[in-house]
Amino acid sequence: MSPTLLIVGQGLTGLFSAVLAARRGATVRLIAEGRGGLSLSHGCVDIWRNGDIRFARRSLGRGHPLSELPREVRAEALSEFLQLAQEARLPYVAAPDRVLRLPTALGSVHVTAAAPYSLAAGSLDDPTPFHLGRIGGLRDFSADLATSAFRARGVNVAGTIDLPVPARARDLYAHDLARLLEDPGYRESLYRDWTPHMKGVTRLGLPAILGGDHSLEVFTAMEQRLGVSLFEIPTLPPSLPGLRLERALRRLAVASGVEVIEGPSVRGEVDGRSAGRRVSGVVATTAGGPRVFRSQAVLLATGGALHGGWMSFANGEVQDSVFGLPLEAPEDREDWTAPSLFESQPFSRFGLRLDSRRRPCDRRGRPYFENLYAAGGILAGADRSTEGCRQGIDLASAYAAVEAALA
Amino acid sequence: MTPRPTLGSFAESRGVTPRPNVTLTPGPSPAGRERGAGVRASLAMFDSDLCVKCNICTAACPVAAVTDRFPGPKAVGPQMARFLHPRSPSIDPSVAWCSGCGVCSRVCPHGVPVAEMNIISKAAIRTGWRQRLRDWGLARPAVVARWSRPLRPFVNAALRSGFLRTAADRTIGLARGGPLPQVAAESLRHRRADLARQQPAQPGGAARPRVAFFHGCSTDGYEPWLGETTIRVLERLGVEVEIPPQGCCGLPLQSNRNFAAARRYARENLVGLHPWAERGIPIVGTSTSCTLALKHEYRAVLGLVGPEVETVSESTYDFFEYLDQVLADQIGALDLRPLALRLLYHPPCQLRSHRIGTPALRILRRIPGLEIVVTDAECCGVAGTYGLKSELYDVAVNVGADLFAQARRTSPDLILTDSETCRWWIEHHTQVPSRHPVEILAASLGLEDLRPAAGLG
Repeated sequence: MSPTLLIVGQGLTGLFSAVLAARRGATVRLIAEGRGGLSLSHGCVDIWRNGDIRFARRSLGRGHPLSELPREVRAEALSEFLQLAQEARLPYVAAPDRVLRLPTALGSVHVTAAAPYSLAAGSLDDPTPFHLGRIGGLRDFSADLATSAFRARGVNVAGTIDLPVPARARDLYAHDLARLLEDPGYRESLYRDWTPHMKGVTRLGLPAILGGDHSLEVFTAMEQRLGVSLFEIPTLPPSLPGLRLERALRRLAVASGVEVIEGPSVRGEVDGRSAGRRVSGVVATTAGGPRVFRSQAVLLATGGALHGGWMSFANGEVQDSVFGLPLEAPEDREDWTAPSLFESQPFSRFGLRLDSRRRPCDRRGRPYFENLYAAGGILAGADRSTEGCRQGIDLASAYAAVEAALA
Repeated sequence: MTPRPTLGSFAESRGVTPRPNVTLTPGPSPAGRERGAGVRASLAMFDSDLCVKCNICTAACPVAAVTDRFPGPKAVGPQMARFLHPRSPSIDPSVAWCSGCGVCSRVCPHGVPVAEMNIISKAAIRTGWRQRLRDWGLARPAVVARWSRPLRPFVNAALRSGFLRTAADRTIGLARGGPLPQVAAESLRHRRADLARQQPAQPGGAARPRVAFFHGCSTDGYEPWLGETTIRVLERLGVEVEIPPQGCCGLPLQSNRNFAAARRYARENLVGLHPWAERGIPIVGTSTSCTLALKHEYRAVLGLVGPEVETVSESTYDFFEYLDQVLADQIGALDLRPLALRLLYHPPCQLRSHRIGTPALRILRRIPGLEIVVTDAECCGVAGTYGLKSELYDVAVNVGADLFAQARRTSPDLILTDSETCRWWIEHHTQVPSRHPVEILAASLGLEDLRPAAGLG
């Protein structure tokens, strides 16, 4: 009998660990209330704010999720992720000895460790000046806003060009264009309309619209026919680079035998026969009422403050949202937030602490349950936004949790 | 047996306030309003405030992906609700493009009942008399089967006649390319009259597992052999099967805007099924759309409340869900014959709305020799009766295009899917024979050979 693993949450952590566990021979169920984090993201892998994958662990505070993960684990997790992406025809670019500095839709610089090839092609370290494309009717990207912000920053933008697309009867979303562009006939009509605008353009930045599941083919074909080098910039969510990655990982998971149970919210179930030492699965709010899904091990990949991984109550208690495990939080709620919205928020560091085997544990390091594991945004000690370490924690902690759960 | 706990009591026992069921006591419709107006009071509307406008549903919607005449589930649903009285359905007529596949509700990370809101809004849209004539028939598959049985050879010939189908397409908008089933010579209830009961039988000596079989009108009137296969499999597993009083689940009526009649059907079914549910006997069905109606639509869309609907809803199982959840031991002990088949399995959108994953796969993966590929598609397009309507047909075909392409690419021996309309639709558009997964299980148990390709009108 293969070991069974039940994973709660289908963000990057949940999907990545599901594929890893299924490929290591486990019978995996992935259960999630809706889709979330990943499809709203830029699709890049941020590992640390300076983009350095090899940063020293001593530069982290004690209790930071990354300080518990040795460099070999981080490197191995990233390498497995890059292989999976390659297999899904969504190649990523990661240079181990340098960081990627990529343009954003707001004209700022996003420092990251790995990015989809189409985003990486926009590296600001490439001195070739670029134009930005203004796609008629697409509200979720403003070439002019980005250009003025880039110029204020000293980034060399050659200019903007108008790129007409056939009128549509309703609001145009990035994923609409992505789907249309997968049709060679539609692309033909765009080549005709766009080619006259390409005079003097050698490098062209577009909002991320170049295809969905077949983005590699779309990107290559368009570069060839337009005769310029292209790159993409992620737009407002849901953003194509995140959507592509989410769909690719879910497809890999299903093809690897993972059962995806989408929709229900869940509460943890404790195994009564183990005197409360083990969990036995979760109870899910299915359409027909509560149904139990049992498993030998459960992995919480539920996310942090913004993703529903924990909740707070009027009495000041903070609990993980599946098993109700207590999270440490200052008694005075005034201390949960920073005075300014743009500072690092103390509440973003709330989360579960893990023992050496990746299981949630109390202050004295004793695990709450023998077979409950956690990874990703639910881990305590990191402000993933300001530290720029979101996907680094997701991938490395998912990798470590799967290794521990299947050991 | 003790009654099973309801969701409310389950949640309360854990100190959690359950998410309110969508409650509605349908009052008398205000004078002068079309039918459907009485559905305005659904609590689904209030849940629209949970929407953060993230557009995850818009990106997942299979209809918005293929037509720009549908602005997407968020735009016509929770977004529109911001500009309306909380009890008013959407006033955007483009909600008519919604196929009701339910993907939007399932992918929403905030629990907004997007699909339910839009299905309720759709019911308030007025249509022309020709469409109403067509929808009258599409909404009543059980009545059609019963009335046309005496004239069966003529009806089935008419359903296959290209000339008559073209005429129906041009006059009442019944899509010529939409596959319709053939009326069976005898209904399942007739063929297995020995299992029909008005009340659950008194339990005998041996405590065998028991189920109430909810066959649905399609199995009863068009595919009785599927019901017989299911009963044979259940009996082989040692289960005592009874067929309680029941009619059509009412989902086709709900999809065709007649909530009043759908509620009547629902109440009749609740009266028929409740005695079994009350005794803790699972209600089991093979049609994932009918079982979804019992589990979810009665409460969340038709707005029925009360202990009967709660008990029946929470006693209902999809056939494979029942095998997996209740008969795990018997399944584990089965001696399953190897079947050398390449299969493409499509979990129907209605099955996914059960929020139970893919139980058929869990069971079929035990059969040696099967090579199973799972489809990527959220929906095959037909979504019950949606794809059978001329004005929606092209959109429905385009929704299914990726699935049909995957079928051509992988060239499987069979396509498996749990809902009957999906099966007919996919078989018609791919020319690959399509089967219910229970037929594979029955073949592996050695109960019967696989049926040859069905003839669809």
